[in-house]
Amino acid sequence: MNPLESLRLSWRSIRGHKLRSALTTLGIVIGIAAVIAFVTLGASLQAGIIGDISPDDRRNVYGWAADPDTEGGPLAGAQPVFTPDDLDSVASQPDVAAAYGYATIQTQAISNGNETVAQGNGLIATGPSYIREGRLAEGRQFERGDREAVVNPAAANQFEENVTIGDELTVTILGGERTTLEVVGITDTSEGQSPFEGFESSPRVYVPTDPYYVEQAAGLGIGGGSDGSGNDTGAGSENGTGTGDARFLAIIIEADSAAQSDIDAARESATAYLESEQSDASELLGDDLAVTFQTSTELLQQLQDVLALLRNFIVGIAAISLLVGSIGIANIMLVSVTERTREIGIMKAVGAQNRDVLGLFLTEAVILGVIGAILGTGLGLLGGYLGAQYIDLPLVYPLEYVALAIGVGVLVGILAGLYPAWRAARTDPIDALRYE
Amino acid sequence: MARETAVALENVRKTYRIGEPVHALDGVSLAVPRGSYTAIMGPSGSGKSTLMNLVGCLDTPTAGEVVVGGRPVGELEDRERTRLRGTEVGFVFQTFNLMPRLNALENVALPQLFQGIDRAERRERARDLLERVGLGDRAEHLPNELSGGQRQRVALARALVNDPAIVLADEPSGNLDTDTEADILDLFDEFHAAGTTMLVVTHERHVADRADRIVHLLDGTIERIEDLERGNDGGSAVDPGRGTETTPDADADSETGSPTGRREADSE
Ligand SMILES: Nc1ncnc2c1ncn2[C@@H]1O[C@H](COP(=O)(O)OP(=O)(O)O)[C@@H](O)[C@H]1O
Ligand SMILES: [Mg+2]
Repeated sequence: MNPLESLRLSWRSIRGHKLRSALTTLGIVIGIAAVIAFVTLGASLQAGIIGDISPDDRRNVYGWAADPDTEGGPLAGAQPVFTPDDLDSVASQPDVAAAYGYATIQTQAISNGNETVAQGNGLIATGPSYIREGRLAEGRQFERGDREAVVNPAAANQFEENVTIGDELTVTILGGERTTLEVVGITDTSEGQSPFEGFESSPRVYVPTDPYYVEQAAGLGIGGGSDGSGNDTGAGSENGTGTGDARFLAIIIEADSAAQSDIDAARESATAYLESEQSDASELLGDDLAVTFQTSTELLQQLQDVLALLRNFIVGIAAISLLVGSIGIANIMLVSVTERTREIGIMKAVGAQNRDVLGLFLTEAVILGVIGAILGTGLGLLGGYLGAQYIDLPLVYPLEYVALAIGVGVLVGILAGLYPAWRAARTDPIDALRYE
Repeated sequence: MARETAVALENVRKTYRIGEPVHALDGVSLAVPRGSYTAIMGPSGSGKSTLMNLVGCLDTPTAGEVVVGGRPVGELEDRERTRLRGTEVGFVFQTFNLMPRLNALENVALPQLFQGIDRAERRERARDLLERVGLGDRAEHLPNELSGGQRQRVALARALVNDPAIVLADEPSGNLDTDTEADILDLFDEFHAAGTTMLVVTHERHVADRADRIVHLLDGTIERIEDLERGNDGGSAVDPGRGTETTPDADADSETGSPTGRREADSE
């Protein structure tokens, strides 16, 4: 009997039990839907994050000093160790195109004219090229030594009257004193510019380390800030080495190009200098404080590892659901074989070979599996789509998983149907015809 | 008319061993000539169904030889036996045994499906046979939308669809009332007249009387064979009055060839 005929006959018996068939496929539907939804979400999440690393950023290497045993993301356990002299010296090392510090200055509020809004995120004090030209929607980068700032759209739009280029803002620092800055540029996105900030959207104000961070450190006699994500890095006042000398929590170096060899060269060069006697940082470095340099991609890798782990977990659960689903199909197929014993007997009496009967029941199980897989895929894609919409991510359909899902449906059908179909095939027609 | 043998049993024994061995058939020898009409009678448990299962290639003998379509059933592999069953034998059961989800046409065409005959050809052949059993207008009906007599006619059409060497009917009218019983038996007569070999199990004398001869079974052996002197020419058994009413064979013969066309050619 040709496969098309098996398909026709099997489809007929599935339609004969619509509700039962629908319920049977439910386990497969749920399992496949879960996998597809989470894989779609995961892929979208990944694309969303990777998409945030612009080509310029790929040249950047992010460094901070922490206990080598500290686990966590960027700046985890970071201590302020880098002096402005260190930064300048690193910048002049071979293979290093540029180097600048990174620190956050804690603030209470920002005023535009007489309108004041709370601003807990603080100011991000860093080098001018931290805001890459390509990320500027308007204006220019701030310059070292000037009281200038670049703001992101979220920061610009938080006032009733939107901030524009040339506006003067007044910032209240955490200690209470005020300082002013002139807005010279607005970025094109409210998402973070580097892994130090995190990638979520929030109001941010970028300023030059000199004068803001230098004044801040001198004024308070401390060398560090906090990145605002809860790292306990406020301590540091005790290192009175260079009084009033600002120490930076983090350093960003630029390699000559995004090529891995250039990045590695820049990283080695900077590390070698900072660990040598010549650097100010080396006074503080030791067994329990070492410099770490990582690219965005490397930092993201950790996040991706977590995502992959989560995905594997979900896929594991889905696999259990698929197993349950296939047991469901096998069970229904066994019932169906028993119910249709007489039909099997009739078919055999009129010349059906064992393999014909086997083929019929196997086809039926595979149809159930594939229907489940198709419905599950549709449902999963819808779920992934809604999820991605909700978290505002670019949607990525993992098409290879859709093909895989259909394949799994077929496989589940075959596995679930094999034993029942074998039972059907070896039914003795004489017994079967007597069967009531 | 010289006749070949459609089915032959040679000293056949069938023994069931469930505790005490039961000899369902105990040394049966019988030759069924092509084109003949044989009835088998005997009390319950005398081995009638066992004999039908053997001739129908559903079962193999414990000893002796069953030859169907020229081939020894007992020595064949399961696959060959199944093929023989599909092509050389047509079954008509007491309980009809139609596929409940297939309509009349599909039921009739089913045996051809397993022979790999293509759909268009199957449907044409099935439609032709349905017309010949008088159900041309019921082709799309499901079995549960048909009366008992109609169902048995569908079953008969199905039995004939592969142009078998022999039609086996085990109490074909056991579930029918008197009138429909007469109808189906008339159809048997018509197809027999057209050359089909019939082997009918019954425990009713008036059913057996339609045959050329009656084989009486008792305790697994042939007690006696009763020749009904109906002549060897099957055509003489047909009641002419009935024949014109529902008979499909006259026009069918001229149009598409009867199920016995091959048989007649073979026997020459
Ligand atoms: N599958 C079987 N297992 C054991 N005994 C059987 C089986 N089939 C038939 N028999 C026995 O064989 C004998 C003949 O049975 P059967 O051919 O069905 O008789 P009939 O059809 O004439 O009533 C009976 O005694 C019956 O009990
Ligand atoms: Mg019986």
